[in-house]
Amino acid sequence: MAGNFWQSSHYQQWVLDKQDLVRERQYDLGILSDEEYQKIFIFFSNLIQTLGEQLKLRQQVIATATVYFKRFYARNSLKCIDPLLLAPTCVFLASKVEEFGVISNSRLISICQTVVKNKFSYAYSQEFPYRSTHILECEFYLLENLDCCLIVYQPYRPLLQLLADIGHEDQLLALAWRVVNDSLRTDVCLLYPPYQIAIGCLQIACVVLQKDLKAWFAELNVDIEKIQEIVRYVCSLFELWKTYDEKKDIQALLNKMPKPKTQPSR
Amino acid sequence: MDYDFKIRTANERAKVEDLFDYEGCKVGRGTYGHVYKARRKDGSDTKDYALKQIEGTGLSMSACREIALLRELRHVNVITLIRVFLSHNDRKVWLLFDYAEHDLWHIIKFHRAAKANKKPVMVPKGMVKSLLYQILDGIHYLHSNWVLHRDLKPANILVMGEGPERGRVKIADMGFARLFNAPLKPLADLDPVVVTFWYRAPELLLGARHYTKAIDIWAIGCIFAELLTSEPIFHCRQEDIKTSNPYHHDQLDRIFNVMGFPLEKDWEDIKKMPEHPTLQKDFKRSNYSSCSLIKYMDRHKIKPDSKAFHLLQKLLLMDPNKRITSEVAMQDPYFQEDPLPTNDVFAGCAIPYPKREFLTDDDQDDKSDKNNTRTNQTNNGGQGAQQGGGGQSDQGNNHSHGGPNAAKRVRLSGPPGHPPAGQQNNIQQPQQQDFHHPHQQNMMFQSGNQQQQNPTFQQRFQ
Repeated sequence: MAGNFWQSSHYQQWVLDKQDLVRERQYDLGILSDEEYQKIFIFFSNLIQTLGEQLKLRQQVIATATVYFKRFYARNSLKCIDPLLLAPTCVFLASKVEEFGVISNSRLISICQTVVKNKFSYAYSQEFPYRSTHILECEFYLLENLDCCLIVYQPYRPLLQLLADIGHEDQLLALAWRVVNDSLRTDVCLLYPPYQIAIGCLQIACVVLQKDLKAWFAELNVDIEKIQEIVRYVCSLFELWKTYDEKKDIQALLNKMPKPKTQPSR
Repeated sequence: MDYDFKIRTANERAKVEDLFDYEGCKVGRGTYGHVYKARRKDGSDTKDYALKQIEGTGLSMSACREIALLRELRHVNVITLIRVFLSHNDRKVWLLFDYAEHDLWHIIKFHRAAKANKKPVMVPKGMVKSLLYQILDGIHYLHSNWVLHRDLKPANILVMGEGPERGRVKIADMGFARLFNAPLKPLADLDPVVVTFWYRAPELLLGARHYTKAIDIWAIGCIFAELLTSEPIFHCRQEDIKTSNPYHHDQLDRIFNVMGFPLEKDWEDIKKMPEHPTLQKDFKRSNYSSCSLIKYMDRHKIKPDSKAFHLLQKLLLMDPNKRITSEVAMQDPYFQEDPLPTNDVFAGCAIPYPKREFLTDDDQDDKSDKNNTRTNQTNNGGQGAQQGGGGQSDQGNNHSHGGPNAAKRVRLSGPPGHPPAGQQNNIQQPQQQDFHHPHQQNMMFQSGNQQQQNPTFQQRFQ
């Protein structure tokens, strides 16, 4: 619903508190460090992005799928559902909600197989293990855990509005857009309203392009504190990327990650 | 998937059959699924609910859209989704709504039957106005939230029965509704033919690729006219609803027969319509030279100088760019003129319409039934009456009904353990009135309608 963010389920239920997030992740963070946890989420955001691109989905759909994914694990441990199963399920559900149309099950599975084999072989030595029945079963669990909140507001539209206000700035828009995409690899989509994320990402883009829009930013009626927090989240992601070699590290991380047990625990 | 996680969530999950009594209380069916009238088992309230079991298994795209949109929408004139039940075992999806006892399809049908029998129906004078106002209010809310309904028709306009929301309009069946401010695909690519033909705007019939707010407004105009006259204004025989070609000769012919053929100055962009060449080939303006909405409505005793007629004319403008918006329509002098619209469309008067009937079980899954009952039922309400067994029976291929379908309907009392339903409305529900049979068409011109002198009541419901 493009209408009113302030009355949306997104605003009312899914702008979470940092403290809540820490509490919900307690179990996983007993096994993984903060940084390892984030690296795992970066990896699966990349997987969702790649699946989406292979399926020729728009960025909006990919972003929605990523937010579903993050919302699920904001309420559940990584061990509840294998993220390798949840990731394509999020793509499947988001494509229906965002009216891209239903992706056929067989096409989704075959794309998962190709992507895992050709693009993520550094993470998985075995082939994609799931079938469409798994995705369909998983979809019900996902919908339940999302509390049927399927409409997700993204920073892209507010970003376009901000840029329209600034004036014709193609380069700035292109960069800020990419920063918004990057921000999906952080927790900001769980913690801040999308218009704030848009402003934060725009600010980063301005710094990179050395555009001085201080006066313009000062005119915005926003909580500067929040914007700075968002900027810090995204900048720390950039810092992490400088030294992190996913290809080298991810397999060990995935091994360390808590996993579902198909048998009852004692 | 983790075993403990599955067990834990299964224990937490509420099952629809544990919480609600609905067995034997089916009140509607169609391509959208089945609707039951339900009550809470724990007695924490004694309200009626509508439980809709979505057709098929799993999450279809339209189920997804319905859940996604209804989860966000909140307006007194839009049906409220109370809860979703996911039944993991049989992969069924259930939606819980407040129960609406009436809908405009049944209400209009009732009036038609009464008219045919020359028996007056007593309704408050301002009822049609109140209905229209609330429809506009709900649609204005949807439109300002960038949601198009796209399938407005009498069966989708529900009206609440006795209770705290008595006489309130609820717009329902958003299964086809979609966001339109930034469609990721051209809307016409998704499902080519959705809107019921009678309520379809001329630009859709001429191949418009994008749905607009104006298309919903046209449908509201059609509903308004139908409320005023008890006849579907653009009634048209339909053979083939599944066609992917939007162009529909007979439906356009019907529209021109009522409205007259559009003048170039009235609809300049008609030339840009994809099917404009076909239109020029198939139609001759001179055939419609004596037709006009004024004449049509005048035949139905709606005076061309009345405020109702003026508003109707603005809702039914052929050029979608000139058609009135819901916002402006709500400001129309019609609504400022006495009688003023009321929140309870029945304005506190007794509700003359019967309650919904329960459909018997052999109505539904009797697959061995080789006569045309089955076809009848699939078509009946197939366009998706949210609640109730109605729907436009004529939309399918069947033109002869009132037969097997009607015979299988029974009137029952309320759900098990509830007080009998039909006490205060002993009026016999007209048996599957053949709403659309050609010879019935003549009736409307002949039936003299004696205006009731009573200031509060009148026979027809303008």
